Amino acid sequence: MGTRTADMMRFWRTHASRLITLFLLLPALAGFFGLFFYPMLLTVILSFRPEGQAIGWTLENYTRFLADPDGRWVILLTFILSLGGTALSVLLSVPLALILREKVRGHRFYRLMVLVPLVVPGLIGALGLLLFWGTRGWFNLFLLQFVPFVQRPVAVNYTMHGLIMFYVWLYFPYTCITTLSSLESLDRSIEEAGEVSGATRWQVLRHIVLPLITPGILAGSVLTFMAAFGAFSVPLIAGGNYRPLAVEIYKQISVPIPARWSAASAIAIVMGVLQVIFLSLYMRFVRRAGGTGGPS
Amino acid sequence: MTDVTIEFRDVSKRYGTLVANDHLSLAIRKGELMTLLGPSGCGKTTALRCLTGYIRPDEGRIFIDGQDVTDVPTHQRELGMVFQNFALFPHMTVQDNVGFPLMIRNLSKAERAQRVAQALRLVRLEGYESHYPRQLSGGQQQRVGLARALVYRPKVLLLDEPLSNLDAKLREEMRFEIKEVVTRLEITAVYVTHDQAEALALSDRVAIMNRGRLEQVGTPEEIYEHPQSRFVAEFIGLSNFLEGYVQAVDGDTMVVSVGGLQMRIPVLAEAGPGQRVLLFLRPNEVELLRPDDPGGANVFDARVEKVTYLGDTLDYRLTFGQGLTLRVQSDAQRRFGQGAPVRLRFPRVRCWAITGN
Repeated sequence: MGTRTADMMRFWRTHASRLITLFLLLPALAGFFGLFFYPMLLTVILSFRPEGQAIGWTLENYTRFLADPDGRWVILLTFILSLGGTALSVLLSVPLALILREKVRGHRFYRLMVLVPLVVPGLIGALGLLLFWGTRGWFNLFLLQFVPFVQRPVAVNYTMHGLIMFYVWLYFPYTCITTLSSLESLDRSIEEAGEVSGATRWQVLRHIVLPLITPGILAGSVLTFMAAFGAFSVPLIAGGNYRPLAVEIYKQISVPIPARWSAASAIAIVMGVLQVIFLSLYMRFVRRAGGTGGPS
Repeated sequence: MTDVTIEFRDVSKRYGTLVANDHLSLAIRKGELMTLLGPSGCGKTTALRCLTGYIRPDEGRIFIDGQDVTDVPTHQRELGMVFQNFALFPHMTVQDNVGFPLMIRNLSKAERAQRVAQALRLVRLEGYESHYPRQLSGGQQQRVGLARALVYRPKVLLLDEPLSNLDAKLREEMRFEIKEVVTRLEITAVYVTHDQAEALALSDRVAIMNRGRLEQVGTPEEIYEHPQSRFVAEFIGLSNFLEGYVQAVDGDTMVVSVGGLQMRIPVLAEAGPGQRVLLFLRPNEVELLRPDDPGGANVFDARVEKVTYLGDTLDYRLTFGQGLTLRVQSDAQRRFGQGAPVRLRFPRVRCWAITGN
């Protein structure tokens, strides 16, 4: 009898702990359902509804977007902007991070400066950039005034290269921080060993430092890329005719009357699927690139 | 001075107010293993970094093979170095790690492979070529480090506390291995450590450093037998120090009064009567006698305060005279219990004059 009581006690104990777990999970589950699952489900359903109707199923929203050269251009543009912005940010981050880790005079100040774009709201930053780089901004005033052979203002705003530059401004802090943290996790004596072995600073950088920080930079740049892929406010006000996916979706529900919710939903789903596919490919690539260090 | 490979000439390095190297002058002979020994912060690592060129001294010059290298960048100094934390390249195999210095020197692939194989044979790591550093044990990693440092036959081998990240047993094993390799290659080596046992076992000569200065340079025997300062005596081996003053000088012996006792010791040239002196005794250089053994010169009665059993020896803490304490180690043949009366005989007492206050 004693064992039966003990068994029951044990049973209740496990049962109770499961109940408590469930109870503690409830808020998160409710949040997940209300904030994520339900809107997602609604978007998926909407994307398959004929425009403006509450019933019926159609693939038209997808086919119209994907068959349209403009639609495919939007997708390509989004990739160009986000990949270009991320790649340029990384390329700029490496030399800067190499300088910042040396604890040069005032390195704390420079570190803070790198973070400024994180603190300034993207919208305000973009407005400032538009003013600075505009045909009558300081940049062009300087060119016209002091640089010979410049007869007319150089177009930056509302161009592709200008937009990529704005992306770099916006996402540079992320890549710089990840690069710096990869660099700082390196053991300096490894570099010393390289130099004592006869390698110049440059050879140490090429054969030792860069191979060692690349996996970290690539992994960190995924986040930057994802953020850039979904960029909205900066391309909205500074993109002109260059509209990446997020802006295109917004256009669908803000410009036409009545708003084209189904078209917007379909583009949103396309965007999400592209993002997931790209992320998984990228992660696989990063894992392979990071795997040069052999099994860990 | 053709047999000098490395020379520090009046080298100083300061960090703010901290003086890491204070007018350091030291010559290291060709083919010798010189240890820089001292407590942490004594400047031994700074001295080594000045030699690699990783730190530039504020003053003084450094010579390798007669050439002033003070302004020669690290990568042109033709050094080999073994690091405390191994500092292997984690993204390269053992083969590539050891071959790195050769790759940098643009040796052909075939010659590289041959010299790497030779270096790995030297440290008994054949068959590990395709392993990555993290797949190796600490001892194996350090052997890879040694192979990498030796593979291009550098002028000088530097070892920066190479054994302190290994466990005690392995440390002793590696000690002999390093010694053997260095001896076989007849390479000049500079070894930095804070472990005095390591220094005594390995070195041809030891340079003891304290607060950025050289305290004493000599063979392990000289350092142990004839320490020239209290710091050296304390740092190397166990020591007892007793303070007293010279009562009388009598030919080549002098009488020193210590805690109310008279000790007769060889005369100290600079010590006249009244001179305060510091006596220094190794714990294993004191004889323990039975209380009924005959007395004589430098024989005193004492009492055992504490005994610790150490296996092959017994470690006694004794009191004698007026409040004098002494640590004595003797073999376990003759035992005295706690509180037992004993007799001490000092066959050999070393002594320095205390100057200043």
